[in-house]
Amino acid sequence: MSEAGVVQDEGRRAAPTERASDPVISARGVWKIFGPQAEAEKIIGTEAATLPRAELRERTGCIAAVRDVDFEVWPGEVFVVMGLSGSGKSTLARVLIRLIEPTAGEIRIAGHDVMAADTAGLRQLRRGTVAMVFQHFGLLAHRRVVDNIGFGLEIQQKPKEQRLDRARKMVELVGLDGFENHFPDQLSGGMQQRVGLARAFAVDPEVMIFDEPFSALDPLIRRDMQNEVIRLQKETGKTMLFITHDLSEALRLGDRIMIMRDGEVVQQGSPEDLVGSPADDYVRNFVQDVPRSQVLTLRWIMRDATASDDLSGPTAPVDEVVRDVVSLVADNPKPVRVMDGDRMVGVVDRVAVLRADGGRS
Amino acid sequence: MSAVTTARPAIRARLPHLGRSAQVGVVLAILLVLFVLLENKFPWPSGLIYPLNKRFDALYEWIVDNQNSHWLFLYFFNHIANFLDQLVAYLNGVLVWLSWVGVTAAATLITLRWSGRRVALLVCGSFLSFGVLGVWEESMETLALMLSAVLVSLAIGIPAGVLAGRSDRFDKAITPVLDVMQIVPAFAYLMPVVIFFSVGNPAAVIATVVYAVPPAVRITALGVRGVARESVEMAESLGATRRQVLFGVQLPLALRSIMLGVNQTIMMALSIVIIASLIGGGGLGDTVISALSFLDVGLAIVASSAIVIMAIALDRATEAAAARMDASRHPEGGLRTPRFSARTLTAAVFVAIAAFALAARAFGIASFPDTVGVGDFIAGIINDVITWVQDPTKPVYPVTSWLGDHLVLWGLEPLRVFLSDSPWWAVIGSAVAIALIVSGVRQMIIAGVLLTAIGVMGVWGPGMDTASQVLVSTVLTLFFGVALGIVAAETPRFEQTIRPIQDALQTLPQIVYLIPIVALFSVGRVPGVIASVLYATPVVIRLVVVGIKEVSPAAVEAARAFGASRAEVLLKVKIPLARPAIMLGVNQGIIMVLAVVIVAGLVGGGALGYGVVVGLQRNEFGDGAVASLAILALGIVLDRVTRGNLQRRSI
Repeated sequence: MSEAGVVQDEGRRAAPTERASDPVISARGVWKIFGPQAEAEKIIGTEAATLPRAELRERTGCIAAVRDVDFEVWPGEVFVVMGLSGSGKSTLARVLIRLIEPTAGEIRIAGHDVMAADTAGLRQLRRGTVAMVFQHFGLLAHRRVVDNIGFGLEIQQKPKEQRLDRARKMVELVGLDGFENHFPDQLSGGMQQRVGLARAFAVDPEVMIFDEPFSALDPLIRRDMQNEVIRLQKETGKTMLFITHDLSEALRLGDRIMIMRDGEVVQQGSPEDLVGSPADDYVRNFVQDVPRSQVLTLRWIMRDATASDDLSGPTAPVDEVVRDVVSLVADNPKPVRVMDGDRMVGVVDRVAVLRADGGRS
Repeated sequence: MSAVTTARPAIRARLPHLGRSAQVGVVLAILLVLFVLLENKFPWPSGLIYPLNKRFDALYEWIVDNQNSHWLFLYFFNHIANFLDQLVAYLNGVLVWLSWVGVTAAATLITLRWSGRRVALLVCGSFLSFGVLGVWEESMETLALMLSAVLVSLAIGIPAGVLAGRSDRFDKAITPVLDVMQIVPAFAYLMPVVIFFSVGNPAAVIATVVYAVPPAVRITALGVRGVARESVEMAESLGATRRQVLFGVQLPLALRSIMLGVNQTIMMALSIVIIASLIGGGGLGDTVISALSFLDVGLAIVASSAIVIMAIALDRATEAAAARMDASRHPEGGLRTPRFSARTLTAAVFVAIAAFALAARAFGIASFPDTVGVGDFIAGIINDVITWVQDPTKPVYPVTSWLGDHLVLWGLEPLRVFLSDSPWWAVIGSAVAIALIVSGVRQMIIAGVLLTAIGVMGVWGPGMDTASQVLVSTVLTLFFGVALGIVAAETPRFEQTIRPIQDALQTLPQIVYLIPIVALFSVGRVPGVIASVLYATPVVIRLVVVGIKEVSPAAVEAARAFGASRAEVLLKVKIPLARPAIMLGVNQGIIMVLAVVIVAGLVGGGALGYGVVVGLQRNEFGDGAVASLAILALGIVLDRVTRGNLQRRSI
């Protein structure tokens, strides 16, 4: 199939080797099979587990929504899970905090063993550690904006003063000043989701899980909201797990992206990994329309210098995006020297840049 | 995946060479041939009758003997009866203490507080009219009875509904029970209730509760289920406990539905008030029944008008309250802080009510001023009109008697003879075959067993009599209902015109339909048929209108774009697509028709309904109970034979 196989992480912020701390979320061998519990548990570990989804359903009546998923999310990272509808991504998000009970696997969030937690422990985890933002916002129509935002704190039985105080701060954070006393249906979709965001931020969680939060919004507003998430993430440094079916959203937001199909992980990696070396035709199909020059860095298109190269041309860092060196190669007939710190690691000429922009590598 | 599952039944349905209606036609043709060949040769064999009525009589005797000694009564039934007796007496006491001034003030102010100004005016006028009509005390007795029944129904129905909304298992467990409770005509409850609680207010309350609980459960469950899954998930994801989810999310968001459930419960309770007075419920119902037995139709109509007025007032009041409770509705902008807090307003309402009541006592106007017999006056006029109508020399009587005679001659009697004189095994056989064709194997078995049970209990003849009345009424109901429904769906102006009539007809208790019709057509089977058509047609119309209106506008637009005429759009797009709704109309219509046909036993409808009447009036408990059971069986058979249809189509 693919020469690259499943390309493992090479995050933009930090390479795995440099990570001193533990992952905030770690999932190992997570399964969710819908159907009778006893029946479902029997499937894992047998050859039935490897059957295609339709066949498994035919034979056992069970539907495997999440199959043997492994991943880690590191502190301060935005980790995107991407897939089409029915790929199991939303189920995965719910399984992580056991809104849907996983069939098997090991899940740790911020040091808590989620699978071992009892009802009280699970509640504690949901109250303080994780907060979720929903596709259709999940606002309560009978409450004003401030009361919606303070709902998480109310669940935690925080005193009213403290709740309102915090909620007002959050109103400011998400830019809803002046709308505190409106009811949700008096707000536009984008503003409603700001309320959803504020509600999640209000409980000051360690991890935020976004379940396709912007797919119900208009494209322009969606873009606004994506920027908002990027801004909030920079301001607060929260770790985020972001579910989406929209590749451009994944590429914009994700430090790393995990692509799922039929409940399985197809590929994990940074945006440029996915675009530069898609693991299979499925991923290739996905990324074929992505403007490669905006995602790929010089690392992906450089070649080793040969004797015939004139090495007196301009330099550019190896993690520069291709699009940004276009004017450089346009102005200079000589190949651009690609530098990793002080070391030259390769060269890029006009042909390579044009090819990268044109599509095929 | 879903494409595969939907495609399959369609293929299977196409396999037989005959369409379903043709198959039913073949079954009926065979039955007709058997009828012609074997008429009266196979009545229900006496060897196949089990004397269940004797068993019931024995049970009743045992109950009478043990009522004051057996633990079941000492610690269970008698406690319930005592509690209900006291509840009714207490509420009645409160209403008497408030006096007419206080009660009218209470009704008006409470609706003003929770339902709005216009409705408050309506409610005020309605309550005053009870006094003007000269039935104030009876109205208050009815109100106390109804409030008790509604309180008990809600105390059972809302928790059960919440449970059913939250637990699939509980929902599955109670759905068939609720189904049966709603299919069986209220009339059939009376007998068993009397056996265990004897005649009186408690029995009336219990019969009412049995009748009114199902909608309370259903609507509450629907409301709780209607809360977006994401809202619940949201609360869970924030670590809410089950209690917090219930009280913070599910109940507030379902409040409007729950209030609609209250509305439905009140309407159900009022619609059975007259029937309940057959087993000792006092108040307006009692007035109606005794007036009927003295053939004082005028008084019966006056008293039932009071019930109808009460029903309309309470319906509008609770409906408006429900609309105000809509979670997403709030006063303009929601930004204005109201001048008084909700609590202050509520407190003010109750203080004012007490003040009105005390003032009325202080000024000695606690009893309603004598309105010089306005009620009697109206009753007199009505009676004069009826005398005129029934006079053979006047123009009305010939028309109605001609109509009634022909209905009997060409509809009811031939069908009754056909059903009861055909070989019994052929009737059961064809019913079973039709159930199989229309609804499938399971429903076929249920229909076969229950139909046989009617024969075994020894009421085959009356059962077939009732069935023939139901069938004639259903055919008429569907004819008018579907036709008017289609017209109403196509012409908005017509719909607007008939809407208030529909609303009014739906608020009337079943038996109220009968009274004026009895006056027009005199006693017999005809009033039951006509009343049941009037009772069931509005519902069929509504379902047809909803069905046609809900047809996807895209499909209609597409047909138009291909140049279909209005008639073609209607015949080829709208009606076929509205078929599930129309089939639901058939099912609902038949059940409603049955309810009225049974009640018509009171006015000469005969058959099974009369069995219950005789049982109640002459203390023939065994016969009454058997008739009740047969009604129950017949109701379920009719429901099963028609319902499978819609379930299959809706896949």
